[in-house]
Amino acid sequence: MKRKLIAAIGVAGMMVGLVACGSDDKDSDKGSESKGPDSYKGQTLTVWAMDGSTPDKWQADLTAEFEQKTGAKVKFEVQQWNGIQQKLTTSLSEENPPDVFEIGNTQTAAYAKTGGLADLADVKKAVGADWAENFNEGATFEGKQSAVPWWFANRVVIYNKAVFAEAGVTTPPKTRDEFYAALEKIKAKGKAEPIYLPGQNWYHFVGLVVGQGGELVKKDGDKWVSNLGDPKVAAAAEIYKKLQSYSKAPKDKDESTPQQADVFSKGKTGAIIGMGWEAGTAITANKAIEKDIGYFTVPGESADKPEGVFLGGSNLAVAEGSKKKELAKEFLKLALSDKYEGQLAKLNGVIPNKESLNSNLVGNPVAEAAAPSAKFGGTTPLIAEWAAVENAPNPVKTYLTAVLNGKTPAEAAKQVEAEFNKRLAQKQ
Amino acid sequence: MKRSIAGRLWPNITAVLLIIGFIFPVYWMFATSFKKTPDIVSDTPVWFPTSPTFEHFETALNADNFWTLVRNSLTVTILAVVFSLIISLAASFALARMRFKGRRGFIVGFMMAQMAPWEVMVIAIYFIVRDADMLNSLIPLTLFYMVMVLPFTLLTLRGFVAAVPKELEESAMVDGCTRRQAFLKVILPLLAPGLMSTSMFGFITAWNEFPMVLVLNKDAEFQTLPLWLSSFRSTFGDDWGATMAASTIFAIPILLLFVFLQRKAVSGLTDGAVKG
Amino acid sequence: MTVQTERPPSGPMKVHRRTNGGHGKPPESRRAGALLPYLLLLPAVAVTLVFLGYPLINNGILSFQNLNMRQLIQHLTEWNGIDNYKEILTGSDFWRVTGRSIAFTAANVVLIMLLGTLVGLLLARLGKRMRVALLIGLVLAWAMPVVASTTVYQWLFAQRFGVVNWVLVQFGFENMAEYNWLGGQMSTFFVVTLLIVWQSIPFVAINLYAATTTIPKELYEAASLDGAGAWKSFTSVTLPFMRPFLYATTFLEIIWVFKAFVQVYTINAGGPDRLTEILPVYAYIEGIGNQHYGMGSAIAMLTIVLMLALTAYYLRIVLKQEEDA
Repeated sequence: MKRKLIAAIGVAGMMVGLVACGSDDKDSDKGSESKGPDSYKGQTLTVWAMDGSTPDKWQADLTAEFEQKTGAKVKFEVQQWNGIQQKLTTSLSEENPPDVFEIGNTQTAAYAKTGGLADLADVKKAVGADWAENFNEGATFEGKQSAVPWWFANRVVIYNKAVFAEAGVTTPPKTRDEFYAALEKIKAKGKAEPIYLPGQNWYHFVGLVVGQGGELVKKDGDKWVSNLGDPKVAAAAEIYKKLQSYSKAPKDKDESTPQQADVFSKGKTGAIIGMGWEAGTAITANKAIEKDIGYFTVPGESADKPEGVFLGGSNLAVAEGSKKKELAKEFLKLALSDKYEGQLAKLNGVIPNKESLNSNLVGNPVAEAAAPSAKFGGTTPLIAEWAAVENAPNPVKTYLTAVLNGKTPAEAAKQVEAEFNKRLAQKQ
Repeated sequence: MKRSIAGRLWPNITAVLLIIGFIFPVYWMFATSFKKTPDIVSDTPVWFPTSPTFEHFETALNADNFWTLVRNSLTVTILAVVFSLIISLAASFALARMRFKGRRGFIVGFMMAQMAPWEVMVIAIYFIVRDADMLNSLIPLTLFYMVMVLPFTLLTLRGFVAAVPKELEESAMVDGCTRRQAFLKVILPLLAPGLMSTSMFGFITAWNEFPMVLVLNKDAEFQTLPLWLSSFRSTFGDDWGATMAASTIFAIPILLLFVFLQRKAVSGLTDGAVKG
Repeated sequence: MTVQTERPPSGPMKVHRRTNGGHGKPPESRRAGALLPYLLLLPAVAVTLVFLGYPLINNGILSFQNLNMRQLIQHLTEWNGIDNYKEILTGSDFWRVTGRSIAFTAANVVLIMLLGTLVGLLLARLGKRMRVALLIGLVLAWAMPVVASTTVYQWLFAQRFGVVNWVLVQFGFENMAEYNWLGGQMSTFFVVTLLIVWQSIPFVAINLYAATTTIPKELYEAASLDGAGAWKSFTSVTLPFMRPFLYATTFLEIIWVFKAFVQVYTINAGGPDRLTEILPVYAYIEGIGNQHYGMGSAIAMLTIVLMLALTAYYLRIVLKQEEDA
């Protein structure tokens, strides 16, 4: 585990070096610095942010300051993860693509390879000298700064303190076994569903695989193929299955259909495994739930080794086809400035892109629950071929449903192998 | 003809079962949308919304620029149907009443046009619209929906035109009307029920379409109601009260239109049949 | 609403006689008259060619390209000959989906035509009040927009709190409690089929009923004089009279069911495990979902060819009638 992360940091470091070299001989950007604020007047910058990423206050403050600084307007458009790749691909080919958009760290490589992302070396130069290198790795591709790292998060257990207390569980479980025992007690009480875990929360599954030290893909000669048949992946699937057995959630749906936070907000659910901001969604749906919400680290093998988690993260990118690239970069410089990066971390409880801003998380219960597992986290393979796997129907989700419906992990791996390999081998 | 009691009974029993079968899903949609949430997620179904609530409708109507979507949907649907009716009327008159070379060829051509798998052609359409710089506009939608419903409208109207007794037109022409006048003054009024019932298919097709608008119009200002309903459904998932309220809102205009048009159309049809 | 039956144009011969004889128009106007049908058809043909023909050709062109995310975003054109077709036709997926589509279409169309005809005949036998009630039910089902009715069916068949599972449990099928209808291939197809049949019966039934009212009573009387029973008079009078109508309706239903993209896609997106994908859904998921646009276009072309093959029989009848007429 650790070894992998260190290696990743090393590679990222090399990449950063390359980027630095690459950006030196770029003179064309100098012109932009002489532009006065008035030159942007009357322009409108379109920004696509994913649902839940931008807290209202952050958005309002940032917009106000940006408009005052540049004279240009900002139009935020909230996007859903569902179907976003298809929407983004066509948009990037259009005359008026979104100028700035949020993109998942696991999807960045694929889009960078298409040539649809503008080079952001000068944003890095301006505000990114001290970005965490392992975070920036997901924003670079073949030595180019294709996007800029924005925020990171890993899942935590969001739980209903009242439900837990009623079943006699007063301290949050620290190990996997304690977790099962707690869920068992809630189940015995019979008043609430112990945990809402749909069968296809595959990000959590990726975390479990990371926790087992497994990999989802492996190299076969010069091409990537499925590694779901690996015993480590099977072990992760068994853990998922055990946990899922405490839930009545559908085995063939993911956590966003329906939104698990909405289910949780009804107060009849012991826990969900989700991003910290999902608690906010639940509170919006039902104000009364707020006082009962608590968080704890996803428990692992032992108290000092929490469960592996998926290190989710989002980058911000600028469309190569945008006609307002300079303005977009100005926006990024402001949005990623310490002030706004820090504010975002504070409001959303997400990990900021540089260590010096981590102080914003002190006292934030979500971040404190998330932090212990962050160093045991990992991502899906950061290869350009990966994005195709995530297109619906995602074979990893199909695999999970098959396991939960009674197939052995080996059988399930076999069932989806052809589809998985086909996607990894897709022509680019 | 005399029938036994059983012989008189079974058609009515079957009919009652059928009525229940056909109406229940529609009823259940309405009923669920008015029920309080505990009555929806109840282990024993609550058959009637005894204490109706509008909260689900409030949730459903809460969407950003909902009324813009309503306006867009209405504009696109109505324009597409009206244009296709006008174009079809001319063509169907030729196909039903005139004899000319290639007549059957045209008919078979339109029958084949009816088979067009629009959903899978969206990418080709996307390229055309993108390169014409017409994305995020209601105009391409209207035009494509018009052609989408055109073959059916045209071929169906042809049947109605053919059903209008020839003699009426002829006698009008004997009375000194030109062919155009005869058409406008005599045939068109008789065709009214046919036009109405034909338009229903067009309305329902255009009202429902979403794969194309999904790709062509990403700007929320130019989207239509089916997109709202399907995104609503994926976000609200098993909040069945809200989804059913949204479905009700989406279905109501078409249901009303059908009930209104179908009465006229069916009576028109049978009247025409009796006379013919 | 009526159906596009193939009747010969009503009395065109008479028209010609009249215009030629009775009113003796000057020859110029007659030549204009000969052009008139083409002029009337012009708008319909023109818009169809522009908005259907052109996309179709464009689709054909795309099907010979390697067109994925990169090519789309950068506006690149990479020809790859018949590679897309070769890959589709040599793989097993396409043939499996094709077989499934044909079986699915056949099952649905048979059910729709059979039940639709029965309901239509029933309408003719009912008393007035009952008939109006049934007509209202049929019209409601018919008018439900597909996106809405699919959602309603999802709710009816929902795993938790779905009314269908509850009813089945009441009838003693205890193991149907919390049954997941959308979890299996056959059960998903069952729900989709029920939905499509439910939606399609009204069109067949109402039109058939309207058409039966046009059958002259004398034909039945003659049949019963010959000693024909109910079944005999149905096969010897009703059926022959209805034949063109039934052909035309079957043709339409084949097209509609084969293209039932919205129902299949919105109810379960071709799942579980891609097992309920029919051709249009397969084309959509491969082409747009997996962002293999060239491949999707090739599947679309093959879909069109297949649909033409399925309906060729009927199209030939229509063409043949021209020779007869």
